[in-house]
Amino acid sequence: MRNMWTLYHKEMLESLRSYKLIWVPVVFIILGIMQPLTTYYMPEILKASGNVPPGMLEGYEMPGSAVVMAQALGQYGTIGMLILVLGVMNSLAGERSSGTVEMLMAKPVAPAAIVSAKWAAQLTVLVMALGLGAAGAAYYTEQLMGPLSWSNLAAAAGLYGLWLLCAVSLTLLFSAWLRGPAAAFLGLLAAAAMSLAHSLLPSQLGWTPASLTAMSAEMMTEGGGFAWGPVLFAGILIVACVAAASLLIRRNQLPE
Amino acid sequence: MDEIKWGLIGPLLALQALLAVIGLISLGKAERTRGPKWLWVIILIFGNLLGSVAYFTVGRKDN
Amino acid sequence: MPLLTVANLRKVYGGHTPVDGISFEIEAGKCVALLGPNGAGKTTTLRMLAGLLKPTSGQISFDGSPGGDYRKRIGYLPQSPAFYNWMSGQEYVVFAAKLCGISSKEAAGLAADVLEHVGLRDAGRRKIAGYSGGMKQRLGLAQALIHRPRLLLLDEPVSALDPIGRREVMELLRGIREETTVIFSTHVLHDAEEICDDIILMNQGLIAEHGALSRLRSQYSIPVIRLTTEREEKAQRWLEDLAHRSFVEQSEVSSGSATLNVKNVELARQIILQEAGSLDIPLLQFEAGSSTLEDLFMKVVGA
Repeated sequence: MRNMWTLYHKEMLESLRSYKLIWVPVVFIILGIMQPLTTYYMPEILKASGNVPPGMLEGYEMPGSAVVMAQALGQYGTIGMLILVLGVMNSLAGERSSGTVEMLMAKPVAPAAIVSAKWAAQLTVLVMALGLGAAGAAYYTEQLMGPLSWSNLAAAAGLYGLWLLCAVSLTLLFSAWLRGPAAAFLGLLAAAAMSLAHSLLPSQLGWTPASLTAMSAEMMTEGGGFAWGPVLFAGILIVACVAAASLLIRRNQLPE
Repeated sequence: MDEIKWGLIGPLLALQALLAVIGLISLGKAERTRGPKWLWVIILIFGNLLGSVAYFTVGRKDN
Repeated sequence: MPLLTVANLRKVYGGHTPVDGISFEIEAGKCVALLGPNGAGKTTTLRMLAGLLKPTSGQISFDGSPGGDYRKRIGYLPQSPAFYNWMSGQEYVVFAAKLCGISSKEAAGLAADVLEHVGLRDAGRRKIAGYSGGMKQRLGLAQALIHRPRLLLLDEPVSALDPIGRREVMELLRGIREETTVIFSTHVLHDAEEICDDIILMNQGLIAEHGALSRLRSQYSIPVIRLTTEREEKAQRWLEDLAHRSFVEQSEVSSGSATLNVKNVELARQIILQEAGSLDIPLLQFEAGSSTLEDLFMKVVGA
């Protein structure tokens, strides 16, 4: 346990020195507040771009604050996920390819402690980024569109964060036996495949973690729609990823 | 929407600038980058959000 | 009781067998060289001893107890140690200490001592990214020594270094071996002879020869006399004449020098020196009873 804390501390120090602890949250805040801003100024933007069919601007209706907030969270599903996945892809792969893991494993350290510490550090970055990003987006939405339910927002952000954590955990697993870029590719592919499967068969695959995004949006706009299935399966997926990564890193630790 | 709300747009611009500045500081300290440094300077200054994200994610070489 | 006992250790990787059943014991306080050419199985052996690789079969007993996790009591330095370049040397050593269960407060003190010991007191505050190869190797020693291990495993600690770095690390090892048990691998016989008591000579996954350096040296030393003279006709004729004496078993004569395998070094030395004196031979060099470990090494390696 103490080793895990030492390793976690090392991960966080690296995040700080590489500015990751600053730039990822800043990007998430920018992504979050851009959504209400662009929605608010959409008529101006359209007008400025010219060739708008007449009558279209008159029909433009400002969406409600909850809808805009749900859209803001949706922004994190693409660029946000990409940033997080690229940030985790080298966490184990880099230690393997550079050889730093060899001296780590020669110390009385359990592979599970190494993987868990890395996972916890990624989670910390994710929570900071999503927390600040969602708070920023909510502030802008309230200023521009109207009041929001902050309890709904917290639940919606939590559900969205769980989905992002699934993608991060999958990438961490692939990072235990592949090179970084391949791990990122497979991590994103797995998340995309889950989303696609879920959108094709929404009723049959309602229990998969991929339905967390829709659940998050519903939670934001309607204040309900919570189901245990996807949350439970997301939890199982994440634990399985960390456990499998621990087993793999024990086997793949040494450079040939 | 009679006027531009600088109170809300200002922080956005400030955050973009902050990101570019952190990127430039990091670039100054970095020993090795993918591609020439001067190119990253241009990307960081004129590349907006995506330019900065590109620098932080793929621009630096670890170790 | 030996500190380390290895019995029938074997490692099979897919098709080949880098370590094919080796057994040896190491007494506490010894310095042992694991000697052999590249590909002999030295690194695989050390990695198994360090607990980084699971043996396919065989047993490792540390301090009398077979199996078990003894990583806390060993220090390990891989062949090409890789560090976190964004850390300072001091931070890395403290990190290594904490992983061995040492409290932060104690770790800071120990780190200062060990960095001083390896000559990195001032460089300790700098980023590892700027370290030279020799400095990294010394930092590697520092992280391996920080928790005062009972056994130090070093994989080719000087092979990749330039002569200055090599000298620094060898000097350090000379001091370290007084305090702890050391096993280090090398493909250079000279390195082993410089600081070790015992050698384990490995080739193709097997132990070819094993024992105290002094015993091996006398066992494998053939009585040899090497002579060098000025390049004069008289001297040359004398050298060629010597080669046909009854006390010489085998000889090799070239211009100005001769190597003679003799039956009895004492007798041969007496005769040769007397003759050289009375015949007024311009001797340049005379060497008697040389060790031929190098020859043994080359024979084992099959070169």
